[in-house]
Amino acid sequence: MSTILELRRVTKQYRGVAAIANVDFALRTGEVHAIVGENGAGKSTMTKIMAGVTTPSGGEVLFDGKPVSFATPRAALNAGVAMVFQENSLVPSMTVAQNVFLGDEKFFNRMRGVYIAAQQLMGSLNFGVDPWATVATLGAAKKQMVEIARAVRQQARVIIFDEPTASLTPEEIQLFFALIERLKRRGVSIIFISHAIEEALTIADRITVMRDGAVITCEESAKLDRESIIRAMVGRSLSTALYSKEDASARPIGPQILSVQDLSMGNAVRNNSFSIYGGQITGMFGLIGSGRTETAKIIAGVLKRRFFHGGEVLYQGKPVRYGIPRGAIQDGIVYVTEDRKLEGFFGSMSIAQNLQVAQLAANRPVLFVRMNAAKDLARQWIEQLQIRAIDGDAHVTELSGGNQQKVVIARSLVQKPKLVIFDEPTRGVDVGAIAEIHALIRRLADEGLGILLISSYLPEVLNLSDRILVSQRGRIVEEFNAADADEESIMYAAVH
Amino acid sequence: MSALARFIDYFRGSGEYSVSVPPFDGALRPNERLETALELVQAPEPDNLVTLADGVVFSSADSLLRFELDAPAGAHTSAVPLHRLPSTVTALAARDEALAIGLEQGGIVILGGRHDGATISALDGVAINCPTALAFEDADTLLLANGSASHPPSRWKSDLLDGGSSGTVARIDLGTRRTARLAAGLAYPLGLLPLADGGLLVAESWRHRLIRLDVSGKISRVLENLPAYPGRLAPCREGGAWLALFAPRRRLVEFVLREPAYRQRMMTEIPSEYWIAPTLRPMASFLEPLQGGMLKQLARLKPWAPSRSYGLAVRLDAKFRPAESFHSRADGCRHGVRSVLEVSAGLLAASAGADAIVIVPRPEEH
Repeated sequence: MSTILELRRVTKQYRGVAAIANVDFALRTGEVHAIVGENGAGKSTMTKIMAGVTTPSGGEVLFDGKPVSFATPRAALNAGVAMVFQENSLVPSMTVAQNVFLGDEKFFNRMRGVYIAAQQLMGSLNFGVDPWATVATLGAAKKQMVEIARAVRQQARVIIFDEPTASLTPEEIQLFFALIERLKRRGVSIIFISHAIEEALTIADRITVMRDGAVITCEESAKLDRESIIRAMVGRSLSTALYSKEDASARPIGPQILSVQDLSMGNAVRNNSFSIYGGQITGMFGLIGSGRTETAKIIAGVLKRRFFHGGEVLYQGKPVRYGIPRGAIQDGIVYVTEDRKLEGFFGSMSIAQNLQVAQLAANRPVLFVRMNAAKDLARQWIEQLQIRAIDGDAHVTELSGGNQQKVVIARSLVQKPKLVIFDEPTRGVDVGAIAEIHALIRRLADEGLGILLISSYLPEVLNLSDRILVSQRGRIVEEFNAADADEESIMYAAVH
Repeated sequence: MSALARFIDYFRGSGEYSVSVPPFDGALRPNERLETALELVQAPEPDNLVTLADGVVFSSADSLLRFELDAPAGAHTSAVPLHRLPSTVTALAARDEALAIGLEQGGIVILGGRHDGATISALDGVAINCPTALAFEDADTLLLANGSASHPPSRWKSDLLDGGSSGTVARIDLGTRRTARLAAGLAYPLGLLPLADGGLLVAESWRHRLIRLDVSGKISRVLENLPAYPGRLAPCREGGAWLALFAPRRRLVEFVLREPAYRQRMMTEIPSEYWIAPTLRPMASFLEPLQGGMLKQLARLKPWAPSRSYGLAVRLDAKFRPAESFHSRADGCRHGVRSVLEVSAGLLAASAGADAIVIVPRPEEH
């Protein structure tokens, strides 16, 4: 099997710090190659170099055996290398069809033809996405589908998927794997970055493990197993029981912090009722589209409930209705978003500035801000949450996914909350960072905070929660004690 | 500003004009403990469980029946008739050999004990037309809850839909026949429990709360905003109390309660069994009103469906906060639990929906 894309001793430095150093990598024609590693291991940097998103500081990139230097993603795409990003790169105000054909519009663009072509493309991929829908109205899974469709349409010879399954349901993942197989049969080479090791073992022909900016191992997937991959990833013995219950006894129920009663918003949230208690982690499981995120956003003032008979939210016994998140934040309710790139931080600001802005939202307006205080704040939280960044002046966009997530969490915690809503807190986060985030969530609950944990990953819900709510079609349909719950009964409640 | 806020609340159905209902969670987390409980006795619409001597006495229509508790666990037992009354028994209290019996036709009858044969038909000249709960304070003193001044007990739905708040609680000296009104203007008092300190715990159904009447006459709220209508109270051995909640509060019913014109027309034109109101029995007819759709899948009603009937009994701790609960959910049949009684073997619950008395064994006997 010939090699289509190769990196030789490639290095990339940011402000003198190497994100990857002397990396050798080879992608064979028609293979599915998984790249796994902790956040900050250099996976995204390496693939961004391949896709022309960034340029290497040293080393050589070869495509079809010839040295290339992709200055832009367009140059890489023209050569046949496309990348589907973890955080989608779609234009929210455009329709699905417009996004699929973005950058490829003809001078006289016939929109009818664009929509028909988009519909055919979506149909051929088994994606149930309406080409006329505005992207902003789509959920994370459907946005991911549009991204994939865009890459497939451009007939790329190499497609790089960065965490493609993070926002997909199990059924959608199966469809996605079938799509990968079809692309593979057409001779397309696939690079598949994932934190889900089981997925990598299932779909990939070969697996490359990266750590600290270097390739640790590259093997046929048949020769690897979960244990050996984790060992190579973290370079230490991490508990293999990451998702096993640490302590079977649930935390005692605390005072009721929040009571949601018959909350309604469009078709997404319908008469939803549940309560959150202090000192406990309340897990909320449900399939994508079950209204969990919308419910959380209504509580936090990000979305508005139905104007007439939209239900009640009682926070510490008093009815609340927040027009904007600031009111919720000042009362002590914070929402840690599932879409960190879009809603979690300001990409153009440093860690310190991001934390300071979050702190300002929780306090009274001030005339002047002290940057030294912001830097002290950043230093404190970088240390406390073990954010791997050069310093507080580093831009959040320069950080890996897991460290970005920690910044998003830190932004919420500087607001001194009483109720924290975590929405998919470990999406796109590596195993090492997952353990750290889980420990943090447990610690917050032990300190008496009310925690609502929204997750689509059942082992995570089972591992962390003291009580588990199951959401279906916009309402809570079942509640389990953590001790009584198992995957089968939770999934049954979520589906039937 | 406050008036404007109230007007906005009225306009959009929020704040005090909200029709939302608190969820069943925390100590009220749904389970199947009532639905899977052992059936002890079958009888039409059993109610008013009390202990008398070594047995348990309960009412079913116009009869009082008695059964022994020495039947082995899991076995059905049969109840034997004890008394037959001139109309349906609506309230019952027992002390030593005496039974105080409230009747659908109005008034109270005492059977057994030193006041055997006594009848009380009025309080301060006002007829006792709706005796809903009775409790002996001592051998000569009876506590009475008269649920409504305008409706008999069998028309409790009408009282709810009319926004009834004409209930009273009174103390009756059986020796002198003197009465003292302890509280008035109550929204259907349905449960009474004398407390050790001389106070009285009252379940006020239509206001979904428990209140406490102190010896001094002071009224305080003990437990509010329950997600179901509270009914009879019974003492708990661990301290606190047992509370039967005979029907769930639902958003649709709350909405209808705030629509007087619609409500009046419904009550005039539609048979009461099809009213949008709580019931004691699970749905049996497709004519019955449902709240929302998607409640049935493969002909099976969802357990979380907002049904008009439900089975619920709650143990309240020493501070009268819910500590644990026993449920029969929307897909079950042991609904309309109007009375509960703790016995040595466990908790007895009289379910009008299942026409049965069931026993939930003590946890260690599971």
